[in-house]
Amino acid sequence: MFSRQESGVQSRVCTRLVRRFMAEGTPAYERKGLQGREGHRRASKVRFAKGAAIYNMEEKYLICEDSLEGIFTGIYDAYALAFALREDHKGIHLQVGEEDNFRLFAVYIRVEPDAEKAAKVANTICRRLGEGTYLDICRALASEDKGKGEAIYKTILCGLQMKDGSQVMGNLANRHVHKVFELARRTRNEVHHWKEFLRFQELENGILYSKIGAENNVVTFLAPHFADRLPLYDFIIYDEKRGIFVVHPKSKEWYLVTDSDFDEKKIGDYSEKEMEYQELFTFFCHKIAIKERKNLKLQKNMLPLRFQEYMVEFRL
Amino acid sequence: MFYKVAEEMSIKEKLGILTDAAKYDVACTSSGVDRRGDGTGIGNTEKGGICHSFSADGRCISLLKILFTNECIYDCKYCINRKSNDVPRASFTPDEVCELTMGFYKRNYIEGLFLSSGILYNPDFTMELIYQTIYKLRTKHRFQGYIHVKAIPGADPILIQKTGYLADRMSVNLELPTAESLKQLAPNKHRKNILAPMRQIQNGIQENRNELVLYRKAPHFVPAGQSTQMIVGATRENDYQLMMVAESLYQKFGLKRVFYSAFVNVNEDKDLPALPGGPPLLREHRLYQADWLLRYYGFQAGELLSEERPNFNVLLDPKADWALRHLELFPVEINRADYQMLLRIPGVGVKSAQRIVRARRNGMLKFEDLKKIGVVLKRALYFITCGGRMMYHTKIEEDYITRNLISVKEKLPFDKDGLTYRQLTLFDDVNFQQGVSGL
Repeated sequence: MFSRQESGVQSRVCTRLVRRFMAEGTPAYERKGLQGREGHRRASKVRFAKGAAIYNMEEKYLICEDSLEGIFTGIYDAYALAFALREDHKGIHLQVGEEDNFRLFAVYIRVEPDAEKAAKVANTICRRLGEGTYLDICRALASEDKGKGEAIYKTILCGLQMKDGSQVMGNLANRHVHKVFELARRTRNEVHHWKEFLRFQELENGILYSKIGAENNVVTFLAPHFADRLPLYDFIIYDEKRGIFVVHPKSKEWYLVTDSDFDEKKIGDYSEKEMEYQELFTFFCHKIAIKERKNLKLQKNMLPLRFQEYMVEFRL
Repeated sequence: MFYKVAEEMSIKEKLGILTDAAKYDVACTSSGVDRRGDGTGIGNTEKGGICHSFSADGRCISLLKILFTNECIYDCKYCINRKSNDVPRASFTPDEVCELTMGFYKRNYIEGLFLSSGILYNPDFTMELIYQTIYKLRTKHRFQGYIHVKAIPGADPILIQKTGYLADRMSVNLELPTAESLKQLAPNKHRKNILAPMRQIQNGIQENRNELVLYRKAPHFVPAGQSTQMIVGATRENDYQLMMVAESLYQKFGLKRVFYSAFVNVNEDKDLPALPGGPPLLREHRLYQADWLLRYYGFQAGELLSEERPNFNVLLDPKADWALRHLELFPVEINRADYQMLLRIPGVGVKSAQRIVRARRNGMLKFEDLKKIGVVLKRALYFITCGGRMMYHTKIEEDYITRNLISVKEKLPFDKDGLTYRQLTLFDDVNFQQGVSGL
């Protein structure tokens, strides 16, 4: 909950500013020449924060939920706000998750996720900035970085101002674009790493079970790859850091399940063959190395330690 | 089918022997073909390839790399499996190979199968066994993952043709760069026999490409292309000869990859060099660097080396070495230079060159932008200008730049166990080492 009322001095300043604005603020768009029905229709878009009116000079922070829907809704509202206030986007910022250190002279506005608004934003990105950019943005969204909302918002802004929006990700001199690029690259690399290093273990009932501990939220990117690869197998990928499961039933579509208090002991025993294969593969890895070229540092560079705890060949 | 199968051997023992025997083959890539699964079996492939693990020598484990058998009728002097060596021998059966591949693949241990083999009885017999194995894997088990197989030189062309329709990549090992050294170290192999299947596969791929234009659903022939490998440091060839051979393989045989394998002395033989300093890893590394320059950077082998300078510089990578000999072309203006020229700047790779070209459409690039883009400025700064200015006051002078480039320690993959720091003595000469390993 963003607490303008709860915290001391800052909130008092905020409230005062808001009050002042409430006295004179609401008809701002009318003064600037938007009249009649047109003005009201557009103005209605800024009414997401009920009653709270906003002062032009202030920095505006939209607090949105950490999800694709939440952030896209935030972007929609940011545009609506900029439009209603007739100002550029400089003073408007997007923030993912709650603020714990409130700024002076800033207004915090909470944004409720709205599927319809999010869909509109997604649609615009695809149409104007291209599918590639959309995918990069989705990858950036999967990261845990706090600044991702702002970076994505300003990247979209930059892209929509360009003649050819599909080139936006090439504009690396822009720091927001660079940030999105960086986050997307990190996610893409991690997805690729898990495609490589994820290991399935066969349970007694034939289900292939795999546990990963990902830094970014990668399971949705992994699922299509493995669903295509193992269409005739029941498999589960479990992200232990987030409590998310990808479940793929044999010959059917995969889906996501969230269960944060999952107990690994419940999954039951491994199949008879499982230990045999783990041993065979460990043996294979051992045998394939050329001892004259031994180079553990290179091995560690290529295969970071954080993955090794999930890999069967490093366990035995 | 009748061949010696040591029945009493367990699958683990066999795997041990036949992996041990296969490990000196370098090619373990799973790249070059993008194929989605059709939903009736198991497996798909990715264009860029996927490595699934890394062994203690830091090389990737992508495919289940095994020999079908390590029995061999040949007596190649560099090979651990030569006829005259007394080593434990084993053979798989096609079913065992299939079972192992499927078991490993579904657990996401491997990306597919790399099947090579010693020559059992004769080339035809061996090729037939390989064919049967992958036929079973593709049809009975409906395996759609990556398969790399060796074409056995001297085998019936029809067998090679049939195998090519099932495999993703095929390779014939050139082993040694010249016919002369091949004769010396592998008396049973002939260069002619090695090049024949290579040419056949090349033509097959070309014909198949034409077919696919006409009939979209025609079967694919070796869709990931063919590769080969050469042993480095077992014979007297210099780097220039190796690069010229590699270049002509790329140009005339349409190869996807040429692999270089630093010679590991496993047999004591009077014709083989003694390598007290271990395998020539630095030389192998330089060859790979140059190989990349040929394939992705638009360089010609003749630009990098010549008859007069037949070996790579020990201290500098081939690209920096080239740039230092062509200082008349530098400095290059980042905001103007064409893509090909950008690629030739030390410190700029393919990706950063592409990013520069895209990013400069939106305005002049500055040095800090280059850093974001991924250019290695500590090497590039001597060769570039941004908006007409160089980064620091540096001279365009060979000695000066060389000194500075060498003082930035090069990142080599094998500086292991601190061995790179050696106490310098009066008798140490950098070229002395090279003379020994170049034998």
